[in-house]
Amino acid sequence: MTAKQHTGRILIAVFAASVLVATACTPANPTTQPSPTPTEAASAKPDQGGRVIEGWISDLATIQPVLSNDTTSARAWGLIYDGIIQQDSKSGEPKAKMATYSVSSDGLTYTFEMNAKANWSDGKPVIAQDWLTGLMGVGKSAKTVRKSTFQDIQGFNEYCAPAGTQCKATASSISGVTIDSANPKKWSVKMTKVSCPAILDLTGYTIPTQVFGKYLTATSTAADFDNAPENTNPTVFSGPFKFKEWRKGDQAIFSKNDSYWQGTPNVDEYVMKVVANTAAVTNGLKTGELTFGTVLARDLADMQTVDSVKITKYQNLGYTFIGWNTASPTATGLADKRVRQALAYGIDMDAVIRAVVFGEATKQVAHHVPVQWAYPSIALEPYKYDKAKAESLLKDAGWVKGADGILAKDGKKFSLTISTNSGNQERETLAQVAADQYKQLGIQAQARPEAFQGLVTKLTTGDQTLEATIIGWSLGGDPDPYSIWHSSNIPDPAKKVEGFGFTFFKDPAMDKAIEEGRNPTNGDCSTAARKKNYETFNKILNENQPYNFGYSNNTLAVSQKSLQNFNPASFSTLYNVHEWWIKK
Amino acid sequence: MRNFILRRLVYAIPTLIGISIITFVIVRMSPGDPIRLFTFGQRDITGEDIERLRHLYGLDKPLPLQYVDWLIAMVQLNFGQSFIYHTDAFQLLLTRVPNTLQLAIVALGLQLVIGVPLGVIAALKRGSWVDGVIRVFGVAGHAVPAFWLGLVLIIVFAVQLRLLPSQGMLTVGKDVWDIPDRLRHILLPAFVLSLTGIANYSRILRTETLDVLGQDFVRTAHAKGLHERTVVFVHALRNALIPVVTALGGILAGLVGGALVVEQVFSWPGVGQFTFQAAIAKDYPIVQAATMFVSVLLVVSYLLRDIAYAIVDPRIKAG
Repeated sequence: MTAKQHTGRILIAVFAASVLVATACTPANPTTQPSPTPTEAASAKPDQGGRVIEGWISDLATIQPVLSNDTTSARAWGLIYDGIIQQDSKSGEPKAKMATYSVSSDGLTYTFEMNAKANWSDGKPVIAQDWLTGLMGVGKSAKTVRKSTFQDIQGFNEYCAPAGTQCKATASSISGVTIDSANPKKWSVKMTKVSCPAILDLTGYTIPTQVFGKYLTATSTAADFDNAPENTNPTVFSGPFKFKEWRKGDQAIFSKNDSYWQGTPNVDEYVMKVVANTAAVTNGLKTGELTFGTVLARDLADMQTVDSVKITKYQNLGYTFIGWNTASPTATGLADKRVRQALAYGIDMDAVIRAVVFGEATKQVAHHVPVQWAYPSIALEPYKYDKAKAESLLKDAGWVKGADGILAKDGKKFSLTISTNSGNQERETLAQVAADQYKQLGIQAQARPEAFQGLVTKLTTGDQTLEATIIGWSLGGDPDPYSIWHSSNIPDPAKKVEGFGFTFFKDPAMDKAIEEGRNPTNGDCSTAARKKNYETFNKILNENQPYNFGYSNNTLAVSQKSLQNFNPASFSTLYNVHEWWIKK
Repeated sequence: MRNFILRRLVYAIPTLIGISIITFVIVRMSPGDPIRLFTFGQRDITGEDIERLRHLYGLDKPLPLQYVDWLIAMVQLNFGQSFIYHTDAFQLLLTRVPNTLQLAIVALGLQLVIGVPLGVIAALKRGSWVDGVIRVFGVAGHAVPAFWLGLVLIIVFAVQLRLLPSQGMLTVGKDVWDIPDRLRHILLPAFVLSLTGIANYSRILRTETLDVLGQDFVRTAHAKGLHERTVVFVHALRNALIPVVTALGGILAGLVGGALVVEQVFSWPGVGQFTFQAAIAKDYPIVQAATMFVSVLLVVSYLLRDIAYAIVDPRIKAG
């Protein structure tokens, strides 16, 4: 062997050795191991300990609920602060959690009483003042986006700051909130008008007064509250977990709260692990680095080959749709109901669902999704694919094919640009498939992906260059559709009014149904009464088709089989997190 | 030398101001509004809420005024509060810098440890199949996209063989000072990040070594009867390495800037991944802080390179 060969071998050997050392020093699998021979053990005595690791595509932004506006942060603070009301995980109907509640006969006063067992991790009881502290935080904060949510509470607008059209900043307390002087766990909230979504909104944010009270005094500023160190490093908890550590961009670690009022959780830690994308979630679930996460429909077949995981399907609380600009100056045909109906008949949505999301979705023909209690029980037009009917409707509307096969009316050809956010493979495919199918009807249709950031501004400001847009709604919480469908939320570029009513569709009967479902004149907020209004609302939408309502995806939750009692549903994943356990 | 350094520092100021203007304009002129973006779909959000938030973050001012405000604050290292995280943007960025530096330094180490020997071996084995393999590797190192290679390595080493983790920089539950665990996590992303550099260095070293081996002083060393190893590693390699050492000037900044793709693929919580997500969310303070950070790093790197050149070749100072 020459000296050169010898040196080269040494260099290679050193590198190989370093690789071996790096790979051999620690076990390949993380703490949460998939069970090699999993069994259904929900009824068995829970094993204690272990760690749940959930994959998230974005890092949490804050652990202060008042400032939070993203699902990742909501998960984090949901682990450490319990709410007073929760939604039933399957039906979405409100029910008591940390507090019981009752509503006065006029529907204007809500009375709450905190559970006697509810306590903070420092031993103090959770009391009415803690709920009020959260509300005062919303009023005081300059950065929250929640002020309008509480505007119907008597005296809130007088308390909240800074002064403007809604907030007056003239009062030092919220007059509508009264804490029972004899029972610090009991309080009432007086509303200025009957508001059916209020009960879920009034869940509010119960945060520890002993921590945040000092940032909400008469002399403290918005910045005092918004920049409180406990917003990112909370110290006192009422939820099943306690905050332990936030390694920014990588993971947030929560340890079990031994004094949790509903019982000590079975697992020792809950970790929110930040991963780059959906592919990383899928890989992490395969390798066991993640305990649970959601995967895309395109990865489902792949996940079904992995023995160590369990797949739970449930309907997503939202839908993907094509919104028609009924006031478009360029695609003038969209103003005609018959044309919009033709566009519903003219697309084979069932085939689209099979092609785009591998069958993991349900066709939508109106606003509410089937798992919501507001979903109509009445028959709606299903808009089954019928090309002949679509062509007939277009003909009735005056659109006739020319020699070139393109539909035209009054000398103007029917062209249609379907915009969607670039980078979303599912929506881009849907736009392309829709354009192809509409071309078969004689429409000059084309798909146009563009940046989501720009698209959002165009939609909310009522930019008339948009003719049709594929986007999605998430419908968590109360089924009130006011912000999307009430005519007061139609943007008006001339008056610089913004809103989510970017189809420009309005109907007085629909407005009335929405108003009655939200603020009933008879004060009846029962689900039965509200559902009746929402049936009227959905019927009008179904008939007028301002959207092609597209489809509602299935959520595909994948968990390691070792994770027990994990039963996520449309309205909640964590409702029983303290009962989860990891089979050893 | 002191005047040389001062002069270079003065030159750096207009460069940085130029970068700041370009960055500011590009970020602000890209379509979309950050407040509308993060309130999109928010039930009950009102126009007043949006205007209040735009005012709070100074987004309601004319663009030139926004720039001046930002510039004045920036020179005091105040890049503003993140729209998303509600905390100081620069502080947030600083928490990610060590992660990216770790990755960049290990990648740099791999570039040298692998690239230099490959170049020397290729030169010494010129024309052989070994030389051919190394040259093909050099071309492949440039041609293979980092995201693709990263995904392939994850599938092979993490998903199939279960030898290495698929993502992140530390196994959940491990102590932050668990060095072996960190090494396991850094190996794949650092290798992917270093690949272009390995290809570069092997190519440069091959050319330089061949050049040096043909020079008179090497022949003289051989004629003196020195051992082959001494001739190559003491005389030839030392001279061949000069271009590599000077090229190192901008490489660290290049690695930090170039880590974006690798950090995304491997869920590495560094500056690149952070900036990418901030750019998607139109979180201007973070995007601008990150861009200026990398720019300063680049300018400082080039300054160090110029100083290195000046030390090696005093004629540069006179120029």
